Amino acid sequence: MSTIPRVSSAIAGEPAHFGSVLARQPAIAESFFALYGRFWGSDVLAARIKEVARMRNARVTECGFCRNVRFDKAVAEGLGEEVVDDITDGYETSARLTDAEKAALKFTDALIHDPELLTGDAKAALQRHLTPAQIAELGLGVTLFLALAKALITMGLEPEAMDRTVLPTPAVLEAAE
Amino acid sequence: MSAVCAALAADPVLARHYADFRAKTEAALDPALAALVRQAVAAVHGMGDAPDESGLDQGIRTILAYARRMPFEHTAITDAEAAAAVAHLGEAGFVAFSVLAALADAECRAEQVGLAELAGG
Repeated sequence: MSTIPRVSSAIAGEPAHFGSVLARQPAIAESFFALYGRFWGSDVLAARIKEVARMRNARVTECGFCRNVRFDKAVAEGLGEEVVDDITDGYETSARLTDAEKAALKFTDALIHDPELLTGDAKAALQRHLTPAQIAELGLGVTLFLALAKALITMGLEPEAMDRTVLPTPAVLEAAE
Repeated sequence: MSAVCAALAADPVLARHYADFRAKTEAALDPALAALVRQAVAAVHGMGDAPDESGLDQGIRTILAYARRMPFEHTAITDAEAAAAVAHLGEAGFVAFSVLAALADAECRAEQVGLAELAGG
């Protein structure tokens, strides 16, 4: 896995990072940030569950950037580091993750790793804890987390080193609505 | 229709945003190449036949070989493979291709997990 950018920044004076590289495709960038803001701005599914799924994806896809970023909305909903530490193999036995979060994690693993993991029991648990609308948002989120992590990694945009960083949660772009 | 679009049927605003992102990503590439990339990625997942590459030039074949690595070998793609893709597509094209190939992989996985049915679509 390369930490040397395979494509250069499109923004003068800025190093290559996801935003500055995506700026090479302004229409894609504009559409993505509108979508991502709408996704995180929706409260159909709690930001904490979205972030739990994002953290799981970060670990499985080996996305160091994703792994070190925290969105403040999820932190405010109680997603502390002691909870994040439990989003690893064996999360099923965590006392800090809720049953809904564990069901979301199983779905996340099934989507990003092996669909066979979504057994009848796992599917029933998911549908017991989440409404169809919440599952739709979770599915969208995991799809985007996975795709963006892989795009970021394969474009060589992984940082060599990065501290844990709390960022403002992407917000709805009024102009895009 | 992708499984994600189908799952979002009850949320027209989010569905519109997702469809727009998907369309903008595809529109940044030659339509035939975008279709081949999607087909190559889907074939890796066992979802349809691989593209017939017999009439394709070496540059397109290089891109399709790269795309096939996205589902299960994304961390193993080398700098040389990426450089070959950039040489064929240019930097802007490589960005669009990277997003498209990764999104195609994720959409196949969403379909395999039955997202649309789980979401009542």
